[in-house]
Formats: sequence, structure tokens, C-alpha cells
Amino acid sequence: MTNKSADINAISSKARGNILAKLKAEVSGADYDKLPEEIPYIYPEFSHEENLAQFISELEKNHAQVIQTTKEGIAEVISAELAALNITTLLCGEKCYGGNDVHRDVINGLDSNIELQPYDFSIDNNKELLFNECPAALSSSRCSIAATGTIVLWPDENEPRSLSLVPPVHFVIVDANKLHADFARLMAAEQWHDKLPTNVVLISGPSKTADIQQTLAYGAHGPKALIVLLLNS
Amino acid sequence: MKQFNEEESKYAASAKAFRANVTRDLGNEELRSNFRGAMDYLMAKRKDAFSSEDELEVLREQCKLIKQRCLAKLPHLLEQLEDKLETNGIKVHWAETITEANEIIAQLIAQKKGKTVVKGKSMVSEETALNDYLEERNVECLESDMGEYIVQLAKQHPSHIIMPAIHQNKQQVAKLFADNIDGFEYSTDVDTLIQQGRTILRDKFCQADVGISGVNFAVAETGTLCLVENEGNGRMCTTIPDLHIAITGIEKVVEHLSDVPPLLSLLTRSATGQAISTYFNMINSPRKEGEKDGPKEVHLVLLDNGRSQAFADEELRQTLQCIRCGACMNHCPVYTRIGGHAYGTVYPGPIGKIISPHMLGLDATSNLPTASTLCGACGEVCPVKIPIPKILLRLREESVKPKSDKPQVMQGQGAGRSNVEALIWKVWALVHKSPTLYALSMWGVTRFRFLMPKKLGGWTSVRTAPKPAAKTLHERLKSKQEKRAKQAKQSTNTASR
Ligand code: SF4
Repeated sequence: MTNKSADINAISSKARGNILAKLKAEVSGADYDKLPEEIPYIYPEFSHEENLAQFISELEKNHAQVIQTTKEGIAEVISAELAALNITTLLCGEKCYGGNDVHRDVINGLDSNIELQPYDFSIDNNKELLFNECPAALSSSRCSIAATGTIVLWPDENEPRSLSLVPPVHFVIVDANKLHADFARLMAAEQWHDKLPTNVVLISGPSKTADIQQTLAYGAHGPKALIVLLLNS
Repeated sequence: MKQFNEEESKYAASAKAFRANVTRDLGNEELRSNFRGAMDYLMAKRKDAFSSEDELEVLREQCKLIKQRCLAKLPHLLEQLEDKLETNGIKVHWAETITEANEIIAQLIAQKKGKTVVKGKSMVSEETALNDYLEERNVECLESDMGEYIVQLAKQHPSHIIMPAIHQNKQQVAKLFADNIDGFEYSTDVDTLIQQGRTILRDKFCQADVGISGVNFAVAETGTLCLVENEGNGRMCTTIPDLHIAITGIEKVVEHLSDVPPLLSLLTRSATGQAISTYFNMINSPRKEGEKDGPKEVHLVLLDNGRSQAFADEELRQTLQCIRCGACMNHCPVYTRIGGHAYGTVYPGPIGKIISPHMLGLDATSNLPTASTLCGACGEVCPVKIPIPKILLRLREESVKPKSDKPQVMQGQGAGRSNVEALIWKVWALVHKSPTLYALSMWGVTRFRFLMPKKLGGWTSVRTAPKPAAKTLHERLKSKQEKRAKQAKQSTNTASR
């Protein structure tokens, strides 16, 4: 095994040397100050209301369900949706369950027949549980993008990456006050280039595919339903 | 001459059979109607996505310049990317050839004693024929993109870079599933078919030791691997298994994070007419201390495979601007008719015709640049403004240049050269340089026109043979002028009388 790994390091370092040498020979003496100016398209400014309307309409076009509610109303909405779907188990972030997070009230207000499954385990020995026994999940979000109807998740140890991916129904709480006009402006405003987490994921609807005869089908591999709980106060 | 590609890929053989492939596929009516339908759909979607012509043009110019800047700085950006990724905990490997790339991946898997691999859509791994390589080493490599899954089940290759199974209709997929999946009852309901695929693949995600993915943009500034997808299989492959290996071409690196939004916006709209894909997945590091999921190891394999050859020529370098949106094939009249498999290469259509010669050499691909009407549609829709028709002409030139001409920019230079054709053009040039020879030859052609054969190979298979005129244009004009002069003289004579 040691021998073999030495092999790939040898392949790689030889290839690296050759590739970089070839490329560098072609760009030697290039003057990077003389590159032409890249002029971006200037998108019109919209009011918050217009942005919000755009956000909702794009999401709905992409088959997400958008429900406008308040912090106090979330628990009731989730309970009703779960009942309609005949689901009684909800996977949620560990802290939510522990009750020291913003969603404490949500968790406490859910129908008593809903069983909460906290994401308090490592995925390593719990893949079966995650894939087979978690029909729905609740997550928060960091912010959102109006132009494309996009929700930005910034997963962490409390709300892992697979929380928004594996369960077939995904409830996500979105704060209308954290809406940005477009992706470029969001990156600039939040200075993303300074610090990014392990994974950032932009979500713009339920999982889908048009791979069979251009016919749209939802729930290809990720959630079949994306239910957006939009807090607009 | 730069050396690469010692090994003949299986694609080289099929590209050589281009003409036979075309005859085969043009005769397949079902295939042709599948492509026609799909291309019409994709063209309409793209059109709807660009309501403002002005926005489209500004974005195309901007994105072209972004990609050109990133290419101008390519070696430096690759080093920066490597540096950032390694700081973030992602290991970087380099490969000049497809075999090197496959070997690196096979060994990374072997080190972890991996047996099952799930793969997200990656055209670069098609380029390296990774599935075959791993299968020979007893590693099961399952495609998880629905289209790729269908194609793999049918033991075929993708016929389109964005929609791999576009050559099949739902009846064909239904039959494929019924024949190959235990307990599946024939149904042409697309939801049923997709749910069947979902059920099988979710099991695989759950069990797999390794996930392999491609990369849409690799950001040098932050060391970020960006993946664009709708299905969620890319997220599965990069989140659930313990080991994630990404593979990409060296041209996919961009300098700044801020380069991503305009490129992403053009990519998804040009490809499928979507304002954005369902998922945009940005990977920065393996699982960190305390995190509950995500791969424990992440590797990136950077592949050259002929790209540095394209890079070395200023005109051909533009080929590397490509963001693999597929718009050029969607709008190509040739692709629409012959379909994606006829090309015999991994990348079909216009982009395939200009990139494959660098990957496989002109020896295997000298037919491809000629398979174009030069209508210009590809160049017009390309989001990064690659002048595809111009590059096609350039490749035609490279393929008929004498083998020994310097400088040699392409492997396989002169592979399409025919001595007869070269001789004809030599004579043609000679004749056109000398007025006497020209007049003489024209006289000969018109006077001996009855010698013109009735059958002229392929030309007359669907047309009648051309016949030279009885007199040359020069002669006719001359006699017309003489006649006029005579008439003029006569009329002045009459007037003066
Ligand atoms: S060449 Fe242009 S149009 Fe074709 S796939 Fe590449 S980016 Fe898209």
C-alpha cells in the first residue's frame, strides 16, 4: 500500500511539473494590467416588496410551496402540513431539540403526535436511520436571493448538510428580511471570499429531473417537496 | 511536438468510424425524432430565459472576458487553487493523461479499500473512461444522474453533455427498466420511472464508500469546488460517502468568487433555460472536527489530456473558455440530425468537434471539423463567445497541412491530407496565377465539356452532375461588348446620315 501511494504521488508531481511548465512557457511575459475591462450588466434596483414578490414567484415556478407565516405560526403550519402528508416524524437540528435555539418555540408548539428526531448523531453509523426513518426535516437558512428564488443554506454541526438533502420533505424557515437582490450582490455584501464554511448550498426548489424525454419529474434524489416557511413581519 | 496521449482511448476508434456512424444514425427514424423533439424543446427554453437581448449580450461579453482572463493566468491560478485547497484540507492531484487520472483515482479508492462508487455527472470521467477502468479492478461504479443511470443500464454512452439520455424516449426507457430491473412492471409514466431509479440509487448512496463528481467552477481565490445540478445526486455523492474524489479539466479554474455569479447565470440559462439550477453546491473542505456528515477526505484530480496543446495556440486556446452548457449542440443542425453518438467522441456536437482533436489527436478526428455547414449558430449562442466556426476552419487547415510543416500545433497534423486533393489545389493555384494558363485551361474546359463524367462519386448520388458552359464568362462578355460597340457604331452612322 505504501508503495502504491508513492506511485500516485510520483505520477502527480511529474504531471504537475510538466503541465505547469507547458502553461507557463505560453504566458511568460504576459502583462496582466493590460487585460480588457469586464463590464457587468447593471440590473435595475427593485424595492423590497418587488424583490419579495420575485422570490416567491420564482420558487413557486420551481414547484416549491411557499407559506407566509410568523414565528408564532410556524409550529401550526408544520403540524398541518405533516398531518396532510401523513408524516409523524420530523428530523431537526440538535440545538432546536435542545431548546436553546431560535426554533425552540417551533419545536415546543408542534402537535403532540409528531415525534422529533434530533440530528444528534454522526452519519457514519446512522445512514440507514437517516435514509429510511426520516420522512421529513426542518432546517433554517442563512439568507435568500430574489432574482432566482434561491435559499442559501450554510450547514454546520447543528444543521448538517444531509439534513436538507436526504429526507423526502424539507421544511425551511426563511426570513424575508434577509433577502438579497441577486447572487453577486449577496456575495459582495456578506464578503464571502473572506470565509466560507465546509459547504454552502443554494436551493431553488425540490429536487427534479427532465432526463426522460424532457418530462419534468420531482423528487429525483433529494427532497420531493420543498416547503418554504416565509417569515414576513 | 508536444507529447501526450500515448494510449489510444476507445473513443479514438469510434471517432475514426464517423462516416459509418452517421450513415447508421441518419437512417434511424426514432432516434432522429427523439433528437428533433429534444433540441426544439431546449432551444425554446433558452430563448425564454433571455428576455432581454441587451442583458444577454453584456453578459456574454463579460463572461468571455472573465474566462479569457482566467486562461491568461491559468498556471498561476492552478497553483493558487492548489494552495488554497490544500490549506482547506482538500488534496490535489495532477494527471497529464487519462490513464494517469484513472490510476490516481483507482489507488485513492484502493487505499480506503473502497468497493462501491457512486458517481455524479462528470463528463471528464467519461473522457477518461473511468467506469471501465474501475470495473476491471473490481470496483463497482454506479452512475447516479438519472440520465447517466439510464445510459449505463443500456450499456451506452451519453449522447449529450447535459442530458445524457436524450436519444431515448420514454418507451425505450420503460422497456430498458422492465428488462433489467427485477420486479419493475413496464410503465411509460415518467414519474414511475424516476421513482424506480430513485429507490435503487438511494440504496446505493447509503452503501457507497466513495463518491465521484465533476466540477463546474474551481475558485482559486477561496479553494472552492462548485457543482451545478438539479437532481441532488451530486450533493449525495459529495456528502454521504466517506471519500469524495472530484475530477476536472485544468481549464475549469476561475480566479475570484465574484467570477462565479455571471458565469452561473449564463450557464444554466444557456443549458436548460433555468434562471438557476435547483442546487448550487459549493465545497470548501472535508468534514471538520465536530461536524456530523460530509466526506472525511476530499481529493481533486486536475486533468490535462490535450488541453495544454490547445492552450499553446492563441486561437485554439479559446476552446478552453467552454463552460459545457451544451447550447452549441442544441442549436446545431448537424447534431440535431445525426445525434450525439455518431461523433464517436465523449463530447459531441460543435464543442466536441473543436475539443476532441486535442484529446484524441487529429489522426482519429480529422473528419469532425469537416462535419459542419459553418452556419454559425453555435458561435452565436455560445455564452462565452467561442468563435466555433472559425476554429473549425482552423482545424480543417491543421488537418490538411503537410505533416512536416512547422510549427506543429496539433498532434496528428496533416492526418486529413489527401495527395490527390493537395495536387488538385496545387494545379488550381498554378492556373490562377498565370493569365495564359488560366485562359488556356478555360478554353479547354468549355470546348471539351462533353467529356465531363455523368457520375462524380458522392456528389452525384443526390444531384445531377454539373456541366461546364459552352463559353466562359469572359468570352460571353467580350462578345456582348463587341456586339454593343457594333450597334453603337451603326446608330451613330444612322444619326449622322
Ligand atoms: S462551446 Fe460554448 S455553447 Fe458549446 S458547450 Fe461550450 S460554452 Fe456552451
